Amino acid sequence: MTFTILFGAALALLQNGLMVGAILFSLGLIGILSRRNLIVMFLSAELMLQGISVSLVAWSRYHGDFGGHVLVVFVLSVAACEAAIALVFVLQAFTRTGRLDSTAWQTLREATIDRSIDHEIPSLDTSLPNFPRLTPAGRSPPPDEQAAAQRDHV
Amino acid sequence: MIPWNALFPETASFDFIAPGILLAVAVTCLAVSLYLLLPKSGRSSKTARRLGWLLGLVTLSLFILTGQRLGNLGEEATFLMVSLVAVVSAAATITCRSPVYAAIWFALCLAGVSGVLLVLGAQFLGVATIVVYAGAILVMFLFVLMLAQPTGLTTSDRITNEPMLSTVAGAVLLGLLSLSIGRLSAEEPLCCRPPSRAAALGGTAVNQTPNESIDLLASDQVARLGGELFGHHLVAVEAVGILLLVALIGAIAIVSNGLEGSQTEASSLQEGSQI
Amino acid sequence: MSPSFLLILIPLLPLLAAIATIVCGRRLEHRAHLPAVIGLAAAAVVALALLVLTVRSRGSAETPRPIDITTTLWQWATIDNAYLPAIDSQAAVPGVAVGDDAYSARPFSISITMRLDPLTATMLTIITSIGLLVAIYSIGYMHGDPGYPRFFALVAMFVFSMSMLVAASNFLLVYVFWEAVGVCSYLLIGFWFQKPAAAKAAKKAFLVNRIGDFGLAVAVFLLWLTYGTLDFHDTFSSEGTILPGILGQTRLADIGGYVSGIVGTAICLLLLLAACGKSAQLPLHVWLPDAMEGPTPASALIHAATMVTAGVYLIARCAPLYMACPGALVMVSIVGTTTALVAALIGTVQNDLKRVLAYSTISQLGYMFACLGTGTLLGFTAAIFHLLTHAFFKALLFLGAGSVMHSMGGVIDMRRFGGLRKLMPVTAITFLIGSLALAGIAPFAGFFSKDEILTSLHSKGWPDVHHSVNDQHHATIPNMPSPHSRGNTIHNVGYREFSSYGENLKGTRTPETVGLDALNQPIVWRTLFWMALVTAGLTAFYTFRAVFMTFTGPLRVPEEAGDHAHESPSAMTTPLIVLAIPAIFIGFILFATEGLAHFLAATPSFTAPSVVSTATASVFHWDLAIQGTLAAALGVVIAAVGHLGRRSDGPQLERWLGPLRSFLEHHMFIDQFYIAIIIKPIKAISFIAALFEKHCIERFVELIAHLPLTLGGVTRRLQSGLLQRYALASVIGVLAIIVLLAWRL
Repeated sequence: MTFTILFGAALALLQNGLMVGAILFSLGLIGILSRRNLIVMFLSAELMLQGISVSLVAWSRYHGDFGGHVLVVFVLSVAACEAAIALVFVLQAFTRTGRLDSTAWQTLREATIDRSIDHEIPSLDTSLPNFPRLTPAGRSPPPDEQAAAQRDHV
Repeated sequence: MIPWNALFPETASFDFIAPGILLAVAVTCLAVSLYLLLPKSGRSSKTARRLGWLLGLVTLSLFILTGQRLGNLGEEATFLMVSLVAVVSAAATITCRSPVYAAIWFALCLAGVSGVLLVLGAQFLGVATIVVYAGAILVMFLFVLMLAQPTGLTTSDRITNEPMLSTVAGAVLLGLLSLSIGRLSAEEPLCCRPPSRAAALGGTAVNQTPNESIDLLASDQVARLGGELFGHHLVAVEAVGILLLVALIGAIAIVSNGLEGSQTEASSLQEGSQI
Repeated sequence: MSPSFLLILIPLLPLLAAIATIVCGRRLEHRAHLPAVIGLAAAAVVALALLVLTVRSRGSAETPRPIDITTTLWQWATIDNAYLPAIDSQAAVPGVAVGDDAYSARPFSISITMRLDPLTATMLTIITSIGLLVAIYSIGYMHGDPGYPRFFALVAMFVFSMSMLVAASNFLLVYVFWEAVGVCSYLLIGFWFQKPAAAKAAKKAFLVNRIGDFGLAVAVFLLWLTYGTLDFHDTFSSEGTILPGILGQTRLADIGGYVSGIVGTAICLLLLLAACGKSAQLPLHVWLPDAMEGPTPASALIHAATMVTAGVYLIARCAPLYMACPGALVMVSIVGTTTALVAALIGTVQNDLKRVLAYSTISQLGYMFACLGTGTLLGFTAAIFHLLTHAFFKALLFLGAGSVMHSMGGVIDMRRFGGLRKLMPVTAITFLIGSLALAGIAPFAGFFSKDEILTSLHSKGWPDVHHSVNDQHHATIPNMPSPHSRGNTIHNVGYREFSSYGENLKGTRTPETVGLDALNQPIVWRTLFWMALVTAGLTAFYTFRAVFMTFTGPLRVPEEAGDHAHESPSAMTTPLIVLAIPAIFIGFILFATEGLAHFLAATPSFTAPSVVSTATASVFHWDLAIQGTLAAALGVVIAAVGHLGRRSDGPQLERWLGPLRSFLEHHMFIDQFYIAIIIKPIKAISFIAALFEKHCIERFVELIAHLPLTLGGVTRRLQSGLLQRYALASVIGVLAIIVLLAWRL
């Protein structure tokens, strides 16, 4: 009975770990396929790698050896290299087009197909929240153009 | 006494509903919630996002309630907490409109993942995740965002490519994975274990808890991991080292090439230049 | 020099000449006639030698042994176990009991075998000699023509095909060379193919011949089904038993060897159809007048002397088959006589000299068919006799017409020239001789042969007047008596007796009569006789009309003649003179000595008891001779009244014919009838088919062609250039594969 319960527990841990890994992987997949920003795409890719790492460690825990750990170490290293190179490419792409949009690159399309253009351009919610107003005390400092130019909405 | 056992029963008690249907419902909920959560253009986002989060919550609870119970309550609670952190922040990463916020949510996700890894007994990896990912890679991403998109948010960040198809694809994948994970059984691992450990496990099953007989959870786990790495997988480690060096050189090479070639282009940075 | 060797040599030499002309004709230029002339001359000599040999072997016996010398060149095709004869079928071997091996399946074997017998020898002599004379004539006629070598190659090829046709001992070979002569005729009619009229005429000739060839093909099929073999001669099977050929000694001697009834009559009528196509009988005669678009020597060779006689040859060869089907025989005679009369009527109003001669050919061929259909030995030999004499004088007439055409600069309309006797004396005299022969004026060649034809017709119409050799009274039905039963007069059709060849398992049979047999009445024959007589008169009329219009009266030469208007060169006049000699003498010689009848009686086909029993004593019936001569004389006189001398320049008598004249001038509207009945519906059908093809089939094919384009257009939309969509597509693909695998599991 104990044997079964203990083994059931190990299996349950494995299954739960695998589920977490699967969920992270799927979320990462959705992120890659749907987000437009190149950085967020790579973040989603890293998310997928995280899911893989969790799955590998879960298997390794279940089997009781270090195989999964070793693989995760490698995955980690490769992810680091990949991130470096990928970000270099992203910067190059940004230099060419001036934006981090993946739809900026459509030259691989068929000659008979038109360029995909966004028809509905969403409005940027640039309105500031309603900050509480203080009664002005003293003189207001002269406006700083540089600061105003840089301090934009996030 | 809080009847924890009542709150978290031993096994799933949803036997009156077929597990396949439950899985399908869970997966559909996930798909719908993500679809609602993904940034859209010209949609009233407040109610959509709230509904999305609600559905996400439903999905998560379904997954939790239909999952297997771990042995004891503490382990169960810890695992649940860290995995919830990981999953929810992952969902937030991909659905956040601002890329900077997405990066920060990703950092939180990394924390959660690190926690999961620690619960699973991977001490070195849990720390390494934080150190490498959150400490180095994430910071690099933020640097690039700062360089490239100092405004933080552009119109393209509010539009999603093919939200429906991608959420459906992800949901189907998750459903398939859940199916196959749910079909795992206890008999399988015996044939996959090396004989020595199997014999040891088989011999000492009754007397010892399995957790302690495995050198995975020994106190000098990191040393054993190092021994495994540099023992069995030395060549691979060296190769990975070379890979890192190559990546470094490559990154510099590409950047230097690009710098020479695009001296004129760098001055003509325009928002929305088309290719 | 064995007969077999000579027999092989006769077709071989013109074939080699044809090949030589084809290969080096261009290089020889104006000497391109040499291989053909040499080859044909050699073949003619060999044929003459063969004739002498055959005559010698005939001997002088009263009842001749059949001369039958076969020589096999090689085995063309053999298919084992191709034929399983029914027990009592004609294909069964006589003298073999039921259950023996002879009833097992027999092979289909075609061997290239040539057979020599008197009929073949006669035909070969005619073919090669007239071929040689035509070739010599063409040296002068085709001089300067750009297709000079091609002409001689075709003439040599034609002589080869025709000699093989008459020498072949197998129905399939006959079919092959039947087609071959048709092809040569097509090529020669359309020799000047740039002229649209010539091309059309060649096409018409070939297509009309095709209809006849269809008949021959179906006849060959039926022969195979009925007799189990296509050979004329007897062959020996591997066990040593005789497989009787269709015209072999075994079957000829066998009384019941030939099928009658529906099948037999069908075979005979199909053979008649083939003969009509080749020999230009009604209703397939329409190609011959148009075939005059070809060069005149070709017309002389093919459409006067040799090819058109192939039909006559075929029916004569298949005489035993016809003897078993009296209905078919009557049809042959009816077709022939009707054709003779119709052609003669149309010929009376033609103004084109060659057209007159063409219709004259059709008419004379009709005569030959008429006496073939009488089903008597006299009839068969009379047909061959007339074939022989007709070959010579018709070739003479055609060559003479060619000579006139050559010197008149291509003009052949008789109304445009006249009085040429002073301009071209040799041509005039030879043409006159030929016309006398054609009209049947004694003692020229045509008189005797026509007389024999009339006699044979008369013997069927008034059978009491004529007596057979066996002194049997012929009833209304032709007999197939056995040599043993003298007193039997009435033998129903299909009644068979036991042959002397041992046990004939076919036994007696109920007579099978076909509806056509009812036509075998004396009244029918009498009608045919009178028609033939009228035709004789018409023949004389139109012949001498042509002579008078061309050669008598004041001299008129058309402008196209230019400086051509003189006597033809010797290359052209020599054959004319050479041909004139037989036209004068051969009839008398052969009749007086009974040489031809005597000689031909040794032909295997004519030694069948059914044919032999119809032999009559050769009596010269003066009354028939006088009737024939009177008819001819009447024709000449009317022609003279209308066209002699000063009146030769225009249509005189035709004015009196009234509306009949235009009816006859338009060839009795038969061409228009065919166009309306056959050509126009076919054109309509082909128009509909073209529309269908254009709108349905092409559109369908285009639809299929558009399918990949459409599919491509649909799938091309996947290539949007957006990389995330590509990734999505691959993810969906992977998921699909996983789902499929999972479902299988």
